[in-house]
Amino acid sequence: MSSRDYLGEFEHLIVLAVLRLADQAYGVTVRQEIQNRTRREVSIGAVYATLDRLEAKGYVKSCLGDPTPERGGRSKRFFAVTTKGVTAVNRTQRALESMNEGLELAGAIDDCA
Amino acid sequence: MTVHDDRAKPPCIAAWLIVLFASAEDESLLGDLLEEFSELASTSGAAVARRWYWRQALQSTPHLFVNGFRSAPWSTTAVVVAGYLLIKVLFPLPEKALFAVLHRYRVFDRHFNVYVFFATDGAAMVHVLMSMLLGCFVGLTASKREMIAATTLVLVLLGMTGAASVAWVTRGNSSMLWSMLPWNLADWLAMLAGAAIIRSHRLAASTATLGR
Repeated sequence: MSSRDYLGEFEHLIVLAVLRLADQAYGVTVRQEIQNRTRREVSIGAVYATLDRLEAKGYVKSCLGDPTPERGGRSKRFFAVTTKGVTAVNRTQRALESMNEGLELAGAIDDCA
Repeated sequence: MTVHDDRAKPPCIAAWLIVLFASAEDESLLGDLLEEFSELASTSGAAVARRWYWRQALQSTPHLFVNGFRSAPWSTTAVVVAGYLLIKVLFPLPEKALFAVLHRYRVFDRHFNVYVFFATDGAAMVHVLMSMLLGCFVGLTASKREMIAATTLVLVLLGMTGAASVAWVTRGNSSMLWSMLPWNLADWLAMLAGAAIIRSHRLAASTATLGR
């Protein structure tokens, strides 16, 4: 198993957002989902750059919808997580859970100080 | 009370910045930005939406640049190397021609102030013009990734100038450095402007073709 089989932090968030949104996952909804749940401002450029990278790795796939006038005649690009992507999410989650196991994070920093 | 503005349009320069760096595969990104901008303009007002659009444009451009480079690293590098070699070969030529003319007509003896102008600012202005032409060349050579190639070349030159500046400062030649830096900055901006002209021209031509 290589390090490439694990998702980076932002990749992890993106894949989880796409999974949550199911068939409504496109740039706007993915960006808003991450922003609303993590309370951190996310740029659409970062979302697309990560989705392109995930697509190149085979973790997500995309298809174009119909162009609409309110989008300046441009199509929505819908994303879906592949089986390989789900496997990568599970592996990353398990790794994180394994690292968290037995840790008592509350007050850890105060104890150090 | 919230002001509803259905006619709000994204800020032109921010939208242009995104279009310059977005590839053909990023068409949906432009639509997403417009969709969210329109939603925000109708709920929070045009000013808030414009500020949001500017933030998105400035934060997205580096990602679009990196993504554009990653999608075609070898062809972009080839264009950057060609551009750099052109700088090395062609840039000294106009300066040599300029000084040849100045000496031929003995400007130094007859019009000293004119000579000083051409020997300093005049030569630097020729460099800026050459940089813009080089930006056009890079734009023409880097098909569909005009700004990615031009920005990479500018970053390479920026890195080299940075290293040279450190060397000059450590040797105590900082006065010459401060007089040259503004002209270097003008060269780089002119290079990016040249590539942007080619990019804008190509986009306008492809839009006109699609419109037919």
